[in-house]
Amino acid sequence: MLLQYWPQRTNVPFMAFRFPAFLVSLLLIAAAFALIFTKGLNFGIDFAGGSVIEIEQPEGVNEQDVRTVLGDLGLGDVQVNAARGTGVEGIEVIVIRFAIQESGSGDQEAAQQTANNEVRAALEDAFPGVNIRSSAAVGPKVSSELLKSGLTALGVALALMMVYISFRFQWQYALGAVAALFHDVIITMGMFALTQFEFNLSTIAALLTIVGYSMNDTVIIFDRVREEARKYKKLELAKVIDIAVNETLSRTLLTSGTTLIALFSIYLFGGTVLSGMSFALIFGVIVGTYSSVFVASAIVLLLGIDRGEKKRREVAGFQGV
Amino acid sequence: MLNFPTWKVLLICLVLVWGGLLALPNAFSDGFLGIAPRDTGASDAQSVAAFEAQKEAAENSWWPSFLPNNKVNLGLDLQGGVYLLTEINPDEVAANRLETLQADIVQELNKPPLIKRDVPEQQGSTLPIRLRDPSQMDDAVKRLRRINPTIGLGGGEKVMSINEVNDELINITVSDSAKQALATDAQDKMIEIIRRRLDPDGVSEIAITPQGDTRIVIEAPGEADPRRIKDILSQAGRMTFNMADMDPSAIRAAEATRPRPGWELVQDTDGRPMLINRTPVVTGSDIATANQGRDPDDNSAAVDFRLTGSGKERFGRATANNRGEIFAIVLDGTVMSAPRINEPIWGGSVQITGDFSVEEAQDLAAIIEAGELPAKLNFIEERTVGPGLGADSIRAGTRASLIGLVLVGVFMIIAYGLMGGFAVGSLLTNIILILGALSGLGATLTLPGIAGIVLTIGMAVDANVIVFERIREEQRNRRSPATAIVAGYERALATILDANITTFIAAAILYMLGSGPVKGFAVTLAIGIVTSVFTAFVITRWFTAMWVKSMKPRRLAI
Repeated sequence: MLLQYWPQRTNVPFMAFRFPAFLVSLLLIAAAFALIFTKGLNFGIDFAGGSVIEIEQPEGVNEQDVRTVLGDLGLGDVQVNAARGTGVEGIEVIVIRFAIQESGSGDQEAAQQTANNEVRAALEDAFPGVNIRSSAAVGPKVSSELLKSGLTALGVALALMMVYISFRFQWQYALGAVAALFHDVIITMGMFALTQFEFNLSTIAALLTIVGYSMNDTVIIFDRVREEARKYKKLELAKVIDIAVNETLSRTLLTSGTTLIALFSIYLFGGTVLSGMSFALIFGVIVGTYSSVFVASAIVLLLGIDRGEKKRREVAGFQGV
Repeated sequence: MLNFPTWKVLLICLVLVWGGLLALPNAFSDGFLGIAPRDTGASDAQSVAAFEAQKEAAENSWWPSFLPNNKVNLGLDLQGGVYLLTEINPDEVAANRLETLQADIVQELNKPPLIKRDVPEQQGSTLPIRLRDPSQMDDAVKRLRRINPTIGLGGGEKVMSINEVNDELINITVSDSAKQALATDAQDKMIEIIRRRLDPDGVSEIAITPQGDTRIVIEAPGEADPRRIKDILSQAGRMTFNMADMDPSAIRAAEATRPRPGWELVQDTDGRPMLINRTPVVTGSDIATANQGRDPDDNSAAVDFRLTGSGKERFGRATANNRGEIFAIVLDGTVMSAPRINEPIWGGSVQITGDFSVEEAQDLAAIIEAGELPAKLNFIEERTVGPGLGADSIRAGTRASLIGLVLVGVFMIIAYGLMGGFAVGSLLTNIILILGALSGLGATLTLPGIAGIVLTIGMAVDANVIVFERIREEQRNRRSPATAIVAGYERALATILDANITTFIAAAILYMLGSGPVKGFAVTLAIGIVTSVFTAFVITRWFTAMWVKSMKPRRLAI
C-alpha cells in the first residue's frame, strides 16, 4: 500500500531548524498582534451587536434597489451586499447589515428589535413575496456578554490544558504545549484580522477545537519524546526529540491529512454558514501541526527535561482495556 | 489483546445493535414510525395534505412500539424557527408589585385618615407617605407592618421595607432581597403566561425556558416571522373595565389642566380622548375564559369572554347602578371598546368588537385569558432561520459529510490497504453510534454540529493511525503479525487516551459556555471523541483479531 512507499525511517533533523523556526513564529505572532491592533477583528453581530438579514434575491432586484428601500428608515449605515447563499445549487442572496441602533429613549435593545421589524415590513412592502431566509438582531448587552464568555472559554481551556499536561508530563512539557497553543490561537486570530473574515461565536468554537487538536498532536509527540528519552539516556535531547518527531511523522501527516480532507469538504460543500468556521479550522490545523514540532518540542529542548538519573516515579499510565 | 472471549463479543454486539436501533428511526419518515402528526392549525392545502398523509401512514404503521422511534432533534438553524431572548427588569417587577399594594396601604392608613393625600404618588420603586400629624408615626408604622405581605410559602421575605425618613415622611420601598425573590417569582409566572399566550391550545412545539434569574428563552420551531411573537408578548395584557365619563366638557377640562382626582385620561383605538374612572369595576383576574368569536351584527371577528363568579357579581351590580352610562374595556391603557349600558348584565358574558382579523382576535383572546405580565418583557436578541435556509443547510451539511466520509475512506484504504478497510468499517460504525447517541440522548443537532461530525470523521482515524504506526514499527522489529498487533495496541493506548482527553476538555468547556448552535458543535465533538476511541480500540481491533485468527497471514500488509 501507499504507506509502504513512505520511507520507513525518516531522519529529518527538525531541531536543527529550531532557531529559524522560532524567528518565523515570533515574526508571525508580531504580525498577528499588529494586524489585530491595527486592522482589528471583523466582529460579527455575536460580538459587536447589530442586525443581519438575508433575503433571497428577488427577480430583477439589485442591491441598489434594496438600499433605496431601506434608506428612509434611518438605520444609520446600512450595508447591502449580494452574495452566494447556502444551497446545493448555490442561491443568489442579498445580505443586509446594520450596526447597533442609537435610541432617543436610551433603550438600544428595544431599538434594535424594532429596526429588524421595520426592515422586514419595508422589504415585504417593496418586494411582495420576498423570501427572508434569516434574520438576527443582537443588542449591545448580549453581544458584550457573548464576547466575554467566548474569551473566558478560551482562557479556561488553555488553563485546563496546562493543568492536565503538567499532571501527565513534567512542567517543561506543559509550558511548551501551552506556548504552542497561544501561538496557534494568536496566529489564527491574526489571519482573521488579515482576511477580515467575520469573527463570531463559531470562530471561538473553531479556536477551541484548534486548541484541542493542537494539544492532541503535541501530546502524541511528547509521549514519544518521553519514551525515547528513557530508552536513549545518554543521547543528547535534540537527537531524542528528532527521533520522536520522525517516528510520529507519518502519523502526524496522515491525521492532519484526513482531518484537512474532512475540513475542506465542509469548507467547499457545507455552505456559507460554515465557511468561516471551517476556514479557521483548516488554518488552525496547519499551524497546530507546525507548532507541535517547532514550538512545543523546541521549547522543551530549550528548557531541557529531567532525564531521571535516579529512577523517577513512573507517571501513572492507562493500562490495558 | 487479540483474545475476544464470548462475553466481550456479545457486549460489543449489544452496543452495536443498541446504537444501530437508536439511529435507525432517522432513516424513516415520522408516519412510517407510527408517530401521529401534530395539528398545527395550518389550513393551506399543502399542510393539510401532509397532515392527512402522515396520519394515514401512522395508522398503517407496523413499526413495533418496543423499538425506539426518536429521531435526532434538529436545532432551529436546521429546521427553521425563531429564537428570542427576553429579559425582565427586576426594578420594574418591584415597582409593579408595590403599585398593587398601594390600594391596601391607602385603605389601611385611611381609617381613620393619617395621610396627607388620598393617593400617594409612587416614584419608581419608592412610595412616599406623608403623615398629617407627626405624632401618628408609630400608629402608621404599626399598620403598615400589619399589611406587609411575604413572598413564598413558610413566611419568606417581607416585600416592603418601611423607612421613617423624618417625623412626617415614611418611604416604602421593596427590599433588595425581596426584589430578587420577586424577579424569580415573576420569571416563573411569565413563562406560564407566555406559554398560554403563544400556545393557548398546547399543541405547538414551542419551548420556553428560563435562563439565569431574569431571562427567558423562547424557541419556536417552524415559525418564520418573529414579529407575531414579539407583538403578542410586548403587550402587558392589563385588562380592566372602568366606568367612563363621556361629557365633552369634562374631557376638555381634563385635557386643559389635569383630570379630577380619581379619574384618568386615556385614548381609544382611534386616538380619541376618553375619561375613565381609575378604580376598575373588573380586572383581568376576574376573567375566566376568552375566545375568538363573531359579532352577531356583521359576522366580523370579535373576542368573547366570560367573567368568574365574583367578577360576574360586581359587573352585574355596576351595570345595574349605571344604566345608560358608558363603560370602557381598557387594555394596556387603550380603550378597546366603549359600549353603552342598556340593561344590567348579570350573565357575565362580554364581547369586544372592533376592526379585527380572525388571527388578531385569536391572539387578543389568548392575551386576555393568559393574564397580565408582571413586568414588561424586553427583547434583547432575535435569531430567525427561515424554512428554506434550514432545508438548504441540512442538504449542504449532509453532502459535505458524505463527501468527507468517502474521501477519508478512500485515503485510508490507499494508505493502509486491508487494515485501512477495517478502519473504514469502524468509521461507519462510529457514525451510526454518533447518530444513535444523539437520538438516544435527545441532544440537538445543529449545523456546526454537523461540522463536528465531519471533523470527527477526519480525526477518528487518528486512533487507528497511531495503532497502525505502532504495528508497523513492531513488524519492522521482526515480530509476528499477532504479537505486533498486540504490542501495537498496548503501546498506543495511553497516548490515545491522553491525546483525546485534551480535545474532550475543549469540547466540555465549549458545551458549558457556548449557546445554541455552538453547543451543538460541542455535543457532536464530545460524542464523536468517545465513540471514535471506542470504535478504534474495540471494533477495529476485533475485526483485525478475527482476520488474523482466520487467515493466519505471515505478514501484515501495512
